[in-house]
Amino acid sequence: MPEKLGNASLSMVIDNLETGVVILDREQRILHSNRWLALRSGISSETLSGQQFTEAFPEAANTRLEQAIRHATHDRLPSLLSPALHGTLLPLYQTADDIRRARRMMQMIHVMPLQDDSAASCLIQISDMTANISRERLLRQQTENLRRTTTQDRLTGVANRRQFDETLSLEFAKARKSRLPLGLVIVDIDFFSAYNTHYGREQGDARLIEIAALLNTVARPGIDLVARYGGDEFALILPDQDENQVAGKAEHIRSGMLNLNIAHTSGIDEQLTVSVGATIMAPEGEAEADTHTLLSSADVALYQAKNDGRNRAIFFSLGDGGFRPC
Amino acid sequence: MLTLSELQYDALGEIFNIGVGRAAASLSQIVNDEVQLNAPAVSLIHIEQASRLLHSSELQQFSSVSQTFSGPFVAQALLVFPESNALEIVRLMVGPHMSIDEVSEFEQEAMCEIGNIILNACMSSLADIFHISFSSTLPLHRFGDAENLPVLEGDEDQMVLLLQVDMVISQQHIQGHILFLLSVASMHSLVACLDDYLKAQGLY
Repeated sequence: MPEKLGNASLSMVIDNLETGVVILDREQRILHSNRWLALRSGISSETLSGQQFTEAFPEAANTRLEQAIRHATHDRLPSLLSPALHGTLLPLYQTADDIRRARRMMQMIHVMPLQDDSAASCLIQISDMTANISRERLLRQQTENLRRTTTQDRLTGVANRRQFDETLSLEFAKARKSRLPLGLVIVDIDFFSAYNTHYGREQGDARLIEIAALLNTVARPGIDLVARYGGDEFALILPDQDENQVAGKAEHIRSGMLNLNIAHTSGIDEQLTVSVGATIMAPEGEAEADTHTLLSSADVALYQAKNDGRNRAIFFSLGDGGFRPC
Repeated sequence: MLTLSELQYDALGEIFNIGVGRAAASLSQIVNDEVQLNAPAVSLIHIEQASRLLHSSELQQFSSVSQTFSGPFVAQALLVFPESNALEIVRLMVGPHMSIDEVSEFEQEAMCEIGNIILNACMSSLADIFHISFSSTLPLHRFGDAENLPVLEGDEDQMVLLLQVDMVISQQHIQGHILFLLSVASMHSLVACLDDYLKAQGLY
């Protein structure tokens, strides 16, 4: 028959646990706490002993931790305090340096009733979750970076073609459900390959960034989507806008480009300009409503703008099949 | 099958509403914002009906937090939200930096704590009013489809005390259910406690 562990041995075991342990009596006085807690709180077990828990840790007063202790001592019910909701509730630190920087560890706290006949009434266990949480943050950040690289155009920072396709079908479905119109604008830079040949690709890239910025000034944040649609083509998805609003934005882009006053020796009037095609669709009203029809309508408008001599914004109406300047 | 009178339903409804009211106060304190909880309807159903109810739900993915309470009667308590509602609660309580497709341990633990607060509050309200006490396991959180809910693992004779729970947080209304699974014997003990209480109130 193996010998049973004595109280001194048990206390030594508790002292060596890699988790914080506090044992309270029914009046919420500290009966015992372990070395882990002394090291992380900077308060020795002897000092803590006999103190009311909320006296020793005033931070716990009027918090869920105090309620949880009450639940354990009076109702005999266990509680869990998650790091997401309480995080750094107690002033516990991993290192002396963390104390100086007031950088508390992230904590998960279990508060359990103790059901024996001794004075011990409640067991508080504290686990250090700092490493888990920074790992999760890192993972979340990597996920976010990954999401960005798969949905953003590297050069201009606006959405890429893949994101454009996804958003267009999503907005199309939304427009159909809510019976609201959906606007689409396509922007093409006039004589851009000639610009690249004459001024160099680096200059060309700089212009693409400027045009993306110009489109961003027209877009409503969080509602509209600006995307790089092709090499020198951009697109703008405009939910819940009527014909005049969409045409207004298209013209705003064309004139905004002119105002940038970028020299282009082989351009229109020796300036770098854009041609813009715009359209809207009310998906529930049209018989053959799909994203393909919407895209080709905007394309048709863009070709018309090119044919009319470029540096133009043209609106194509699906209703009557007619063109008009924006 | 055991049935409850209107008086018994009313009393249980009142006791559970005291419980969820306390839980709402705790949740409000955590988020520094008003959280409202109501339990507008209590019903006693057979376990089969409970599983049918969950299966018929439009959303097949659930979040459940469970704790087993033992005392004069044993009840497995389950707080069940459709997964999207649970994520909405956690998002509103923890912060908006979470997208619906990535639920980490961090959010699971938060949901576990929220369930713990609500279930403990309901059972301690029962304990206070009946002058009894319970012990309980720590809460366990699970995501999964209806098939994986512990409610369907119990034996067939179990009865379910079903509580509808309406939560209002940051102007969002979120609905879920609390299920108390009891054996027939435990259900009889609960009813005996309830009758003692009603007698003491002079209502019998």
